[in-house]
Amino acid sequence: MSFFQVWAESLRAMLANPMRTLLTMLGIIIGIASVVLMLAVGDGIKAFIDKQLSVLGSNLVAIGADSRKAVGARLKTGTVLTLTMDDAEAINRLPTVLGAAPMLTTFSQISYGNENSANTVHGTTPANFVIRNLRMAKGIPISDVDVASAARVAVLGKKVAEQLFYKTDPLNQRIRIDNQSFQVIGVLDNEGQTFDAGDIAELVIVPITSARVALVRTPTPRTVQYIIAQAKSAEGLADMVADISDLVRDRHRIRAEDQDDFRITNFGDFAKTGEAIAAGLSIALGFIGAISLVVGGIGIMNIMLVSVTERTREIGIRMAIGARPADVLWQFLIEAVSICLVSGVIGVGLSAGLAAAVTSTGKFDMSIGLKAVLIATVFSCGIGVFFGFYPARRASKLQPVECLRHE
Amino acid sequence: MPDTSHQEALVQLSAVRKSYFSGRVETPVLHGIDFTMLHGDFVAVMGQSGSGKSTLMNILGCLDTPTSGNHRLAGSEVSQLSRAELAVLRNRTLGFVFQSFNLLKRMSVLDNVALPLLYASVSRAEARKRAAIQLAKVGLTEYSHRQPNQLSGGQQQRVAIARALVADPPLILADEPTGNLDTRTSIDIMAVLTELNRDRGQSIIVVTHEPDIAAYAKRLVRLKDGLVLYDGPAHEGLRQLQEDQRSEETALAAAASAKDAAKEGA
Repeated sequence: MSFFQVWAESLRAMLANPMRTLLTMLGIIIGIASVVLMLAVGDGIKAFIDKQLSVLGSNLVAIGADSRKAVGARLKTGTVLTLTMDDAEAINRLPTVLGAAPMLTTFSQISYGNENSANTVHGTTPANFVIRNLRMAKGIPISDVDVASAARVAVLGKKVAEQLFYKTDPLNQRIRIDNQSFQVIGVLDNEGQTFDAGDIAELVIVPITSARVALVRTPTPRTVQYIIAQAKSAEGLADMVADISDLVRDRHRIRAEDQDDFRITNFGDFAKTGEAIAAGLSIALGFIGAISLVVGGIGIMNIMLVSVTERTREIGIRMAIGARPADVLWQFLIEAVSICLVSGVIGVGLSAGLAAAVTSTGKFDMSIGLKAVLIATVFSCGIGVFFGFYPARRASKLQPVECLRHE
Repeated sequence: MPDTSHQEALVQLSAVRKSYFSGRVETPVLHGIDFTMLHGDFVAVMGQSGSGKSTLMNILGCLDTPTSGNHRLAGSEVSQLSRAELAVLRNRTLGFVFQSFNLLKRMSVLDNVALPLLYASVSRAEARKRAAIQLAKVGLTEYSHRQPNQLSGGQQQRVAIARALVADPPLILADEPTGNLDTRTSIDIMAVLTELNRDRGQSIIVVTHEPDIAAYAKRLVRLKDGLVLYDGPAHEGLRQLQEDQRSEETALAAAASAKDAAKEGA
């Protein structure tokens, strides 16, 4: 009997009891859907992290001024600002560093005419624009000349510009930051998170020198709050962190036995955290999938055993008219595999539907790849063979005489 | 398998014994059966329940193997074959007609008839073509695409006969083929079998407990307690059977009257 005929018969047998078949398939459907979703979630999270990282700028670290030990007692973070412009320049000259930007930040009232808002203000240098992939929608970024001359100029985030100016062109307008006059020279194009938990679109950027003069009081004229630095490559990140650490310890004259008075935060670690979460989620879903597949497989085995018992007479008739034990084995095995394959198709369809629903919320992109579909197919076939073999073998071992007596 | 079937007997049983075992307890059913059947014969096998009739039928049908003795069918020594080889032998040399028709549900009449050919690796199209021809012969062409349970008992048994014949086997085995049918339909079915034997020389074995049915056969084999009681022409066998039954009745009546007399005497 040809494969196609056996397959057609197995489909007929499945349809003879549609409700039972569907219930049997449920475990496999859920299992396959979980496995496919697991892969989609893994890919989705990876894509999401990559996107976030590209907004943040890649291979970045922040060197923050930490508390300093004074007479054995740890002081509150930031009470002594030990990092300076000179530290930033020294870091910038390190061979492993692509660029370093000193930062002074504050939260200020921004006003234009009758409009006002409260925003984070970053005082920084042109290097900041490069490091963080900042692009201009309009105008120009802050220049070295602006920094050197402590020019009262500002670059606005997209939302800030909209809030203050509506449809008016903000370029060359004068705004007030904490009641100090600044001229708008550019508007940013970027959106998304900054690593200090703000929205780039709600940021105002001014030259660090102007910030010091007009907005932020610092203990010394060269003090900065933190410095961000970018490594030349992802591989060079660890080297760069070590170099910066050595350099700053040396510059701050910290003895070998003393602790750092600064802290280096690696933004790559955030990505690692994200990836770890993705891996955890994948493992959890995979685990659910695996359990569901095993339980589903046992369900299939169970129902196939019932089916063999129910169809004992049919087996006897088939054997009497010439079915060999192998024919009977194939018939039941193919039936089990067909159930699993159909379940797999439904499972993939279900997960595709869920993925589409998640994607349509716009918060997270999920797509079902060919890889997932192939894995689902192979898995469901494998389950069918593994759990269908025992019942099929049992059917093939039946004695025709006894089968024909069976009612 | 070389075709030597026409030079030798179609079926040959010699000293066939069959016992069933439950644990260590042996229950002998057949005590040594010798039976030879030539091509073109029409044999009725009769016997009361417990006579070993069904067991013999299973052995003749290659569904079961003897405990000892030899069984040759169409040139093959059956007792030495594996299960798969037995299946192939059944497929090629035997056509079964059962008491309860044994058609497969969920399958059209035509597909039921075609099934033995599919197991013989005939293509589906060819198998259906040949099945349609067989169905036409039993007059059921218009029911080809019905399900078996939509047919009457007599029609179902005709389908079963078509299925038994489709692979053109040398021997048809009919186990109580009229057991589930009314008298009129029974006559109908037996007429089909008789015609097959007469017109095509089809070899047939019918197992039955009804003398009326056995009367259609040329030859009668009566079994009693696992032994052949009679093997000869059907009409003579049936006459003897009638006599046996009559003397049995007389004996029973005598026993009963003796009992009554004993009662009265007391």
